[in-house]
Amino acid sequence: MDQLLPPEIVEAGQTFPAALAACGDLDALLRLKGAYIGREASHATRLMELLKTAPKEQKRELGAAINGLKQQWEEGLKARQTELEAAKRNRSALAATWDPALPPPQPPRGALHPLNRLMDRLVDVFRPLGFHVEEGPEVETEAHNFDGLNIPEDHPAKASSDTFYLAAHPELLLRTHTSPVQVRTLLRVAPDLAARGGIRFLAPGRVYRKDEIDPTHSPMFHQVEGMLVGHGIGMQHLKGTLEYALRALFGPDTEIRLRPSYFPFVEPGCEVDVSCPLCGATGCRVCKGSGWVEILGAGLIHPNVLTYAGIDPNEWSGWAFGMGVERMAMMLSQTPDLRLFFENDQRFLKAMGGLD
Amino acid sequence: MWIERKVLAQEIPAAAALDTRQLCEALAALGFPVDGVAALEGTEALDVDITANRGDAMSHRGMARELAAKLQQPLAQIAAGDMVEGAPLVAVRLEAEACPIYATAVLELGEGVTPEAAQSFLRALEASPKRLPAVDASNELLLRYGHPTHAFDADAIRGEVSVRWARAGESLVTLDGVTRTLTAQDLLIADEAGPIALAGVMGGDGTKVTEATRRVLLESAWFEPKVVRATARRHSLHTDASHRFGRGADPAMAKVARDLLVARLQSWCQARLLGAWTAGAVPAPAAPVELDLALLARVAGEAVSLEAAQEALTRLGCGVAAGGQRLRVTPPTWRHDLAIAEDLAEEVLRLRGYEHIPSVLPPMEGPPEHLAPGYLQRQRVARRLAQLGFHQTVTYGFISPEADALFAGPDNPVAGRTLANPLGYEYSVLRASLLPSLKATAEQNLRQGSRQIRLFEVAPVYRSAATGPREQVALAAVWGGTLGGEDYLSPARPVQEADLAGLARDLELPGLPPIHRLAEGLFGFEVDLAALPQALDRIIPGFRPFSRFPSVERDLSLLVDLGQSYAALHQAMAAALPGDSLLELRCVDVFRHKSLPEGQQAWLLRMRFQADRTLVGEEVDGWVASALAAAESLGAKLRA
Repeated sequence: MDQLLPPEIVEAGQTFPAALAACGDLDALLRLKGAYIGREASHATRLMELLKTAPKEQKRELGAAINGLKQQWEEGLKARQTELEAAKRNRSALAATWDPALPPPQPPRGALHPLNRLMDRLVDVFRPLGFHVEEGPEVETEAHNFDGLNIPEDHPAKASSDTFYLAAHPELLLRTHTSPVQVRTLLRVAPDLAARGGIRFLAPGRVYRKDEIDPTHSPMFHQVEGMLVGHGIGMQHLKGTLEYALRALFGPDTEIRLRPSYFPFVEPGCEVDVSCPLCGATGCRVCKGSGWVEILGAGLIHPNVLTYAGIDPNEWSGWAFGMGVERMAMMLSQTPDLRLFFENDQRFLKAMGGLD
Repeated sequence: MWIERKVLAQEIPAAAALDTRQLCEALAALGFPVDGVAALEGTEALDVDITANRGDAMSHRGMARELAAKLQQPLAQIAAGDMVEGAPLVAVRLEAEACPIYATAVLELGEGVTPEAAQSFLRALEASPKRLPAVDASNELLLRYGHPTHAFDADAIRGEVSVRWARAGESLVTLDGVTRTLTAQDLLIADEAGPIALAGVMGGDGTKVTEATRRVLLESAWFEPKVVRATARRHSLHTDASHRFGRGADPAMAKVARDLLVARLQSWCQARLLGAWTAGAVPAPAAPVELDLALLARVAGEAVSLEAAQEALTRLGCGVAAGGQRLRVTPPTWRHDLAIAEDLAEEVLRLRGYEHIPSVLPPMEGPPEHLAPGYLQRQRVARRLAQLGFHQTVTYGFISPEADALFAGPDNPVAGRTLANPLGYEYSVLRASLLPSLKATAEQNLRQGSRQIRLFEVAPVYRSAATGPREQVALAAVWGGTLGGEDYLSPARPVQEADLAGLARDLELPGLPPIHRLAEGLFGFEVDLAALPQALDRIIPGFRPFSRFPSVERDLSLLVDLGQSYAALHQAMAAALPGDSLLELRCVDVFRHKSLPEGQQAWLLRMRFQADRTLVGEEVDGWVASALAAAESLGAKLRA
């Protein structure tokens, strides 16, 4: 019988069940109905024309075939229509008598990366004190990354075992800290520092060191650098600013503690501890029972750093700090493995990140 | 460094009265935090963290000196006899300024081994005793007093000894059995047959002390820190000695340490002193450093009296002369880190305790600066994407050359972005695009069973240039998997390219970026962030009046060729419609099916009109007819 029908009609007949199932709503079904049994330009009208022009001896057999097809299509469409109408009624019923116990549709929810979120938060904390954000490139010169920071020419950090260098540009490296942003910014503002009334900024960003990847090391990580230059700036201003900022971050009862330490680009230098934000300084695993957690390194800007940038250290002074973002994030969240921050599993990101 | 408590208390008796916690707190307050406490060999050892500028503190004596200054308690006397020096038994010539003093002695060893107490001390500090008194005594001295010494087998030395720069082509087998090829920047101890030690780093194998050694020649010298650091680095040979000389040992200890070493060998193995002598002398101290009281007050945050500052610095061993409002300070021979006034101010503060520093917010001297537009824009885009359900990723800036090649343009050669010393091949290229990293992250998430992948990253990408890789911040987003189907109201369907086009439009990208098919059902795009519109100048846009009359909506179902340009059709129809009344013209449905004429598709175009009056049907009919005519002029037909 199929040989009596044009091939496209045969194919239309074969694909009908799939097309019917694919109709997700009544509009789609109406369109399908039009295409198959509509009054104009449908498969059905073509078949009727075929029947009219068919030789007399075929008419009977062809007519039966056509009727079979049309009936199959009509029944199929009708059945599907009943289904879809029922589904629609069901939806209307669900809409009319909402069951609050049913899980509702969830608007999509994404997340900022926890490390970005933490850096953003730090910027928010320092904004009221007049700090803005400075940024610099990740591919840096030795001058900005080391020399301008009073780091001696033979410092081990310069070795290719510690720092990544570019093959085609041996003088270029991937910055090992956000401190070159200090150098760039000071060089830029030095000529009109007095007119500006000093400068104060944060420099969040990615840095690179040649560490193998393991639960506590990563060749790429994040730092937030802070710097302030003004007249008569001393350790009291560093302490005052950090006390304000760390209380804004961890709560008003937070205490901070400065301990002497050494970094080539500051003098005096210090490590800053914060009373353990997880146990309220009563002693826990995170603070190893001491009640204190080391949070950042800081100090007064070394006169050589100011001089390098063309700023007179007899007139100006300032402080700087640098903070490891991953370390702080791990401490705050108790994330056991640094690699989780770079694996970017959506479950981790959703749980650890947020929208703000 | 490990510090053994009992030995520390021998250097500063007052430390014996402190419990471990008090001792740790005192050390931390001085700038030497304790990383751990270990009970070893029946005593307690503290793992003290010593910063790179404090070579003088890398010993029990050094720690005791710090504690004594802090606690204002006396140090024990060093039990060194007054050794009578004599004529050199072997000529020692100092040919390089990098070695100003070289104290030595020759002894004949007798019977006896390293005493158990010394062996136990070495073991407690994770230094294994060799049971050779000359070697163990040198190691014990180093850990106790911080001054490295060395014992040569005197009978293995050929002729005179000199301290000199190596000559090109010379080599030395060091104690660790490695043959070192020397350069002219390596400082040597040599005899007439050639090198016998790398100065301040390691002795040579040919002159080492063994059980067969009968006579030893002792070395207690001082070497220029820079020279020792360079040699240690050049040969990747970092030893206890190179750490101390490299950070600056005490030149005044050269003779003292020699005397102490001789005394130990005399006591431990009945060694007989054949002669002791010294070549060179302790170098003159560096020029005094001036500390102005005004600078001290500025650093400290409050006035500090001349007397208080003088007293603190004196406790640290400085020579201090007061005059007017300033101090002239000569640092002790063991402190090489006190070079400028700020260094001295730190010392005064350190002894007072940083806890006494007041807490003051710095006054504003000028207006605060605004956040940069580029920074704000990145924040805005990231927040928008997060609100749309996308997860921000942070991936490494370097990737494998193969991954990079997926999206690097032909005008961005990889050679200019390749690291000289990558962590590995898979991390060797600064990426030209974020998409390879996002693709890998997306596929990893799919393997972990995620139904839908929505990721984005904002990070620099790199472009090779003559002066080095140029950075520009890019935004990339990937989207894939199944959309919806998670609740009773939302049907499920696969994510499609069109979804990314919609996302690009939501972000107000200028034009549609290329949508890449990253994998089956996974799509992504990447744009230069600078291409995104900056934050608006106006806080809110200027007011544009809108009609309060009802709008009228009409649909046109058009049959068009499969190749029909939507933009052209849209433009033609919009041009035929009254611009002031047309609110919206857009294709809301596309139907492609075999039932349609060959090579054609149906587009459902929706028009919405609104005006400052009630629109009447005939008027709108006329507009729709014009739009249809415009469409027909491009070959479209009204679909029945």
